[in-house]
Amino acid sequence: MSSPHQLTCTLAIVDAHTARIVVSGEIVFDSGDRLLGVVADLLADHPVRRLRLDCGEVTFCDSYGLGTLLAVHRRLDAVGGVLHLENRPAALDRLLRRTNTYNHLTRSVEPEREHQLDS
Amino acid sequence: MVKTSRVVRQSDVQQDVGWRSAPYPVVSVDAAGAVRVVNEAALVLFPGAAVGGSMAGTCPGWLVEAHERHTGGTRDRVSGLIGERSFEAHPVGGDDGTVTWWLVEDTDTRLAREALRLERERTAVLGEVSSRLLTSLNPERCMQVAAELAAGHLADAAWVIAPGGRRDFPVARCVRGGDVVHERLAVDPDDVAGLAEALQGFPPVPSRWIEPSSAPGWLVPEEFGEIGSIVVTPLPGHGVPAGALILLRRTEQRAFSEDEEVFARLFAARAGAAMSAARMFAQQVSITETLMRDLLPPKLHQVDGIEFAGRYRPALDTERVGGDFYDVHPAAVTTGAGAVESLAVLGDVCGKGLEAAVLTGKVRTTLQALLPMASDHRRMLELLNNALLDSHDTRFVTVVLASVARVGSEVRLRLTSGGHLPPLVVRTTGEVQEVPAHGTLIGVLPEIEATTAEVVLAPGETCLLYTDGITEAMGGPLGGEMFGEERLHAVLASCAGMPADAVAEHVHMVASQWIGGGSHDDIAVLAITAPRGRHLTAVGGHGRGA
Amino acid sequence: MTTTTRETLDARTCAQRLWEAVVVGDEHAARDVVLTASGEGLDTESVLLDVIGAVQRRVGAEWAANRLTVAQEHAATAINERVIATLAGTATFPEPHRGRITVACVDGEWHALPARLLSEVLRLRGFRVDYLGAQVPAPHLITHLHSTGPDAVALSGSIATRLPTAHATITACQAAGVPVLAGGGAFGPDGRYARLLGADFWAPDARSAADRLTEAPLPRPRGTHQPIDDLPHLGDQEYTMVSRTSGQLVKAAYSALEARFPELASYSESQRHHTAQDLAHIVDFLAASLYIDDDALFLGFLAWTTDILGARGVPARFLPPALDVLAAELRDFPRAKRVLARAHELSTRTLGVEGPDHDHGPAA
Repeated sequence: MSSPHQLTCTLAIVDAHTARIVVSGEIVFDSGDRLLGVVADLLADHPVRRLRLDCGEVTFCDSYGLGTLLAVHRRLDAVGGVLHLENRPAALDRLLRRTNTYNHLTRSVEPEREHQLDS
Repeated sequence: MVKTSRVVRQSDVQQDVGWRSAPYPVVSVDAAGAVRVVNEAALVLFPGAAVGGSMAGTCPGWLVEAHERHTGGTRDRVSGLIGERSFEAHPVGGDDGTVTWWLVEDTDTRLAREALRLERERTAVLGEVSSRLLTSLNPERCMQVAAELAAGHLADAAWVIAPGGRRDFPVARCVRGGDVVHERLAVDPDDVAGLAEALQGFPPVPSRWIEPSSAPGWLVPEEFGEIGSIVVTPLPGHGVPAGALILLRRTEQRAFSEDEEVFARLFAARAGAAMSAARMFAQQVSITETLMRDLLPPKLHQVDGIEFAGRYRPALDTERVGGDFYDVHPAAVTTGAGAVESLAVLGDVCGKGLEAAVLTGKVRTTLQALLPMASDHRRMLELLNNALLDSHDTRFVTVVLASVARVGSEVRLRLTSGGHLPPLVVRTTGEVQEVPAHGTLIGVLPEIEATTAEVVLAPGETCLLYTDGITEAMGGPLGGEMFGEERLHAVLASCAGMPADAVAEHVHMVASQWIGGGSHDDIAVLAITAPRGRHLTAVGGHGRGA
Repeated sequence: MTTTTRETLDARTCAQRLWEAVVVGDEHAARDVVLTASGEGLDTESVLLDVIGAVQRRVGAEWAANRLTVAQEHAATAINERVIATLAGTATFPEPHRGRITVACVDGEWHALPARLLSEVLRLRGFRVDYLGAQVPAPHLITHLHSTGPDAVALSGSIATRLPTAHATITACQAAGVPVLAGGGAFGPDGRYARLLGADFWAPDARSAADRLTEAPLPRPRGTHQPIDDLPHLGDQEYTMVSRTSGQLVKAAYSALEARFPELASYSESQRHHTAQDLAHIVDFLAASLYIDDDALFLGFLAWTTDILGARGVPARFLPPALDVLAAELRDFPRAKRVLARAHELSTRTLGVEGPDHDHGPAA
């Protein structure tokens, strides 16, 4: 059983404080750590404060994948940054709502911080 | 016969100078069996042989017989022993019926061949010993095999004694050809010289001969006969003593040769290594069993006339535990009216394998400690959340709490979800309903929400708690398809009116067959059923119906 | 002897009564039948094997004949399980004095009841029994064998598609120095597959398994028995290829059927699933018959499946074309081709001349 869970993360630095990662494939047990690794490297190398995670090509996200997203969120939080989950597939939204993490992961940014970053 | 050998020989030597000094013994015998010629080398072997004298009585019997056969027409070369040495005799026939026997010594070749045969035999035995000793990692079995092999190849009887308690040792004993007996025996190792040291592995001792008459009674098998020799050999393990091997031979058997002692040591090394590997394995298994006991899913029973049944399969075949869990705590709460309410819990820790299992252990223990407040699910989940909050880690758990009470023939449930998949209820009609119990996953966010839903089960109705290992199972006849909630609903619909055990088994089976040989996540299901009364109608209709 | 005959008659009556209780899901009545039988002098072993065992066989037969659904089979089995537990609770078992036996099912086997019955019978006969049940992965079984050191493993299997797994399990047990007694329908009516896969003994039923173990211990396996020695034909990789690509084979067969029978497009989701599942079973049995190199296994399955489809009201006329597609996909595999050709011949003969649609469409 070779790893059938393909996950690719395509990173683009948008501006000095903003990065965008296009995630495609499955965020599951075998692949979640890879995404976390990409984010950790990104935060170590760049003063990124806003991460836009494009989930449009995420085919499946299991509870381990949710754990990964929560960890990404926490990493950004730790450096005073914000996470945007963009183009969320319906299945991902259902998972977020079922676990009641929807607000936390999609609307938890305090307005002041968002404002600071925008200015 | 007249002794005129010297004269005749001289004349022969004159006839053929080469014979006398030939490096091979040569003896020439006529058809009647009289020696005609015997050279110097032959005289060394057959000092009594004389020319003109009879071959019989002066030459070895095998050669005399060969000569007779040769005269009769069978002209084979033969071989045989002369004293300790062995020779091949090659016949060369003369015209007058005289046969000249040339003798070629092959003692060395024969010894070498014999040694080779023995060596091959031993290598084969050691091969068998190794493969049979290594098959089982069961200490008892390993000792039995060692005793049986030792009695078969090394001695008339063998004892294998393992280090044990103070006065009580595991032993395996076997008399050649008999069955192995394994038992614990209260013996004093000091009764047998060298045994105590061998069992302690210290000080290092070589194999030790003991005087048969000094052997304690227990050492001698019944109706064994007189003992000729006893040797005690330590069994060296992997850095720890594995025990001792005691070999017994009867008087009619030879004592151990030096070669055999070397062989016994090789045997002991293999047996010791196998026995100590088996013992270490047994120790590891016992430690694992102990640590695992609380992590394994519990056996479920009926509680207060309510059926509970669970099924569990971890993601990895090599593991016995994983991140899914369930528990049923009977009579967790006594309500004001004196009715009892049990608490059933099913949950899923994010992750797989032993690491996840350790966290399930923590969750289960915490919930058990929180049982006194089982009447307030939300409070229980908040406290669990606080206990699991960890600033380093975003590992979380989703969980369903179900307080279950029997009210008459019905079962009343209060269900609360901490971010878990919604419980399902199957009615006797086959209708499947999702229970609206929502809430936040546990262990990540500082504040959680949770709403409790109430459900009443009529007799024959079941509430099913399950993990995403069921709904997210990948497979199906065409492969690569997710099992999904819809299929789970359909399967559950076919379980209307069934006992809890059958529901849990059926759901588990259908999902497992969906997965087939593919990889999967941990799977857990828990069925809570209001038992059907005595006089109810048949289980659904008949026929698979597609 | 007369006593034996009377007991058998009694057992038969009890079995009929138990069947009536089990099939309507009446656990209390089922329990009463068994406790009464036991109370009225039918010995416990007979209650287990000639009453409960007989009913369970009937459950299996009714399912095979499509008169019980899988879910109903589970319901009946669950009641039988509980009845056994009740009986075991009231029976007196002798102190273990014979040997230690591990009873397990082939991994992937869902019919645990025969193994459960054997366990109880062995306990009655004075064995120490570790009943591991169904769904035991081989690594757990082997660890169990090392840590308990039993005298034999009794391995139960009812589904022929699990024969490759059974083979791996038998070999693993023997490699751990424990002989294997095999039983159950998977091993063929005369146990030929058990012998083929190197089992140390085959028993046609629980009673003869218990008799054999009671008579004398099975000899310990000697020497290293390599699985490939049993089945040298596996060298041609046909089994490996078919089992590895089973998903693709099912898909190919399914699309070919869709092209051939337009009405498939109007099938409901559940009908399509059943059709795909039937095809998956065909491929599974093909793989199993390649594994043991016995065409009869596949042909037998096909004959059964044809009957079942009939009982379900689904036309079996999709079988020959499905077999054609598989044969085309597997054209490079001589053994697979041979058995598929035989199967094709058999199914066209059973179905008569392949013709256009019959009046009755696929059942709902």
